[in-house]
Amino acid sequence: MADSNVSYNPLPDGERPRPTRRRSIVLVLSGLLVVGFLVALLSDNGSIAPANVIDNDNNNVNDNAKNGLNDVSSSSKEPERLRPFTSASSAGVSEKSNRRFGSRTASYPWTNNMLSWQRTAFHFQPQKNWMNDPNGPVFYKGWYHLFYQYNPNGAIWGDIVWGHAVSKDLIHWYHLPLAMVADQWYDIMGVWTGSATILSDGKLMMLYTGSTNESVQVQNLAYPADPSDPLLIKWVKYPGNPVLVPPPGIGAKDFRDPTTAWLTSEGKWRIAIGSRINRTGITFVYDTKDFINYELLRGVLHGVPNTGMWECVDFYPVSTTGEHGLDTSHNGPGVKHVVKASMDDDRHDYYAIGTYHEKNVTWVPDNPEIDVGIGIRYDYGLFYASKTFYDQNKKRRVLWGWIGESDSEIADVKKGWASLQGIPRTVALDTKTGSNLLQWPVEEVDSLRLTSKEFEKIELKPGSVMPLDVGSATQLDIVAEFELDKAALEKTAESNVEFSCSSSEGSAERGALGPFGLLVLADDSLSEQTPVYFYIAKGKDGSLKTYFCTDQSRSSEANDVNKSKYGSFVPVLEGEKFSMRVLVDHSIVEGFAQGGRTTITSRVYPTKAIYGAARVFLFNNATGASVTSSLKAWQMNSAFIRPYPDDDDERHSGTEPTHEVRGSKTKYLGNLLTSSLLFLNARNNFL
Amino acid sequence: MKAILFVFPFVLAVAYFPISQCQNLPLIEQTCKQTPYYGLCVTSLKSDPRSKTAGDVQAIALIMVDIIKAKAGGSLQHIEKLKQKYPALRVPLSACKDRFNAIIIGDVPQAVEALTKGDPKFAVDAANDAALEADSCERGFSGKSPITQMNKLNHDISIITASVVKMML
Repeated sequence: MADSNVSYNPLPDGERPRPTRRRSIVLVLSGLLVVGFLVALLSDNGSIAPANVIDNDNNNVNDNAKNGLNDVSSSSKEPERLRPFTSASSAGVSEKSNRRFGSRTASYPWTNNMLSWQRTAFHFQPQKNWMNDPNGPVFYKGWYHLFYQYNPNGAIWGDIVWGHAVSKDLIHWYHLPLAMVADQWYDIMGVWTGSATILSDGKLMMLYTGSTNESVQVQNLAYPADPSDPLLIKWVKYPGNPVLVPPPGIGAKDFRDPTTAWLTSEGKWRIAIGSRINRTGITFVYDTKDFINYELLRGVLHGVPNTGMWECVDFYPVSTTGEHGLDTSHNGPGVKHVVKASMDDDRHDYYAIGTYHEKNVTWVPDNPEIDVGIGIRYDYGLFYASKTFYDQNKKRRVLWGWIGESDSEIADVKKGWASLQGIPRTVALDTKTGSNLLQWPVEEVDSLRLTSKEFEKIELKPGSVMPLDVGSATQLDIVAEFELDKAALEKTAESNVEFSCSSSEGSAERGALGPFGLLVLADDSLSEQTPVYFYIAKGKDGSLKTYFCTDQSRSSEANDVNKSKYGSFVPVLEGEKFSMRVLVDHSIVEGFAQGGRTTITSRVYPTKAIYGAARVFLFNNATGASVTSSLKAWQMNSAFIRPYPDDDDERHSGTEPTHEVRGSKTKYLGNLLTSSLLFLNARNNFL
Repeated sequence: MKAILFVFPFVLAVAYFPISQCQNLPLIEQTCKQTPYYGLCVTSLKSDPRSKTAGDVQAIALIMVDIIKAKAGGSLQHIEKLKQKYPALRVPLSACKDRFNAIIIGDVPQAVEALTKGDPKFAVDAANDAALEADSCERGFSGKSPITQMNKLNHDISIITASVVKMML
């Protein structure tokens, strides 16, 4: 080494100096690099805080007591209110996201008594575990079939497979073994929602979404293993699945829930599948002749900007002249078409009425201002992933909807189940308004009615509550009419503010002409009550606008259940009285206003107003009008929903069979083999 | 001299290359900006080494769910200790134990499943519920809670998670 004649400073890391000229350049370079790194490092001003911040503290006791949990800690710099990360206008974005807490402090422990009361008597639910979307509803060989998204392993969403049940009347259901499980690469991550189509020759095709081993959403075909089996116990998946994969440019997780197919005038079958492009919800349309090969039609059937992903699309004709239902393939004069979709973003089901143009495969809404996703909802409470089917047995279109829980997970875990199906409803066009559908519980619900109590022309002065002696009040069917005196309606002052059920103070908000209606699942002291009511507001132009609401704010003393208010405007035509029908079935309350123009489904979890302590009241909390009401209330029988009996004795005795619903696939297959003969035998006798 | 001129731009480029890229800060910051608790969001994620290589919002969400799980687990342990220390608070502490248990056996598995299998809305539900459970635990003490900070942390982390998942909808 030559002697160096370059001065240097020792490096921090103690690197030995290289006294040659070339090496001194390297030295300088390294020095600059180090400086550069240090500069960059110091300019990064993100702080690195310790991960574990759990520790004791003695907090300001008074703050907690006064403000509930709006101000849990005084030392945090961040906003402290418990508020869901949603837009202010969407109430109930997800069942568990929109809590409004009252000032009651103690956390209410759920006892087994309270929890077991919550199970319904005449709404469809499996014996235990989680359920969500209704799937493939269909009437086939004398039986109504309902399939559903089911978790055989717990009371949470997961491990989704297809549950199955059958009924002769949409009310009395028998549980059957699981129809399809996640046993193929193309549905191993989930056997998701699908629909049934009955072909002209009577064959049944089931299209459903599978989440593949790579979580890609694809469409698969399945069909009955034995089409002559009316119970459709066994199903076969088409060996060449999937039959459809996401089209180019569409996200792998934005392609699901194929509809029932409808016949085109060219004799092809056409289906719709929801999706999205950026924030625009859309629905694709495919043509097929064999349910195996598909042609993606150009463009989309319809799309609406800023609505997000469209799930569970439904597309069907309604008659403009009559209230009977129409086969999904029906088209021609006197027909309008409904497009419906479930909005992934806000967890509500929206529909719009419009005109279908078969040739250029488009659908145009009658009123774009109330288009899909921005207009009318099937239901203003908890009601999602709904699906209709044409019931060729009674020539009606029937609507199913998934009703989730609005309690907390601790209760679901404790009680071991979660979710219901809503009461099945007929859907038809409201020929009086022409701009909305009517939904009404299927007529078979009436067969559950037992004893009734009738009340004629009860006058309710402003600010009055009247108990109704109806007997037991946890399984009820109530039909009620209300009239206000005309003078009060005319003289009420105009209002400047647009009313909204969800942003109001509920039934405690007194207006001149409302609220008035029923208090259900109430206790004697009214410490718990669920008002289902009308509120009439007078608009700026002097016209009256009626709202139909359900108020959960005092529905329970528990503080971990949804306490928001649901509801919407309901058209009331000249000469009509205010009318509502309310079904109470333990933890579900369904209200239908004006023959089903506006409906509200809510889940209610009282701690006191249960069993024999539940009551019903009439109320009028208006300030400026008396209300006269006539109503009839029936006790409702149980539907005795249970597993399909596999021997004569159990079936005829009507008691609960002792075996459990089959949860595991192997158990099911084993039992299937040994009991298939019994089924054949039993079925013949039953029919 | 020529060598230094040749080398200097390279050095400048290196000097101005922000070390933050190595920590994946743009994704973390961009995501956390859209949550109600930006600071907590950033510090929570940065405390988890996986956040350095998270490629998308889904990966961030899964990390957050893991944080919920870890915090809830830690909370459960802490509650057990407090039961000894404050026998008078046995009832609300037991209720809290049930609630955090529900988070661990209910909400967390549902969130993970929803995110990995491709139906994220169920993860929003689960995260919102986790916040609710923490809140309800706190309420059980009628104002005399020994674990307010802990409950708030659990609550806020859950709300952050819910808002992160909502970005995927």
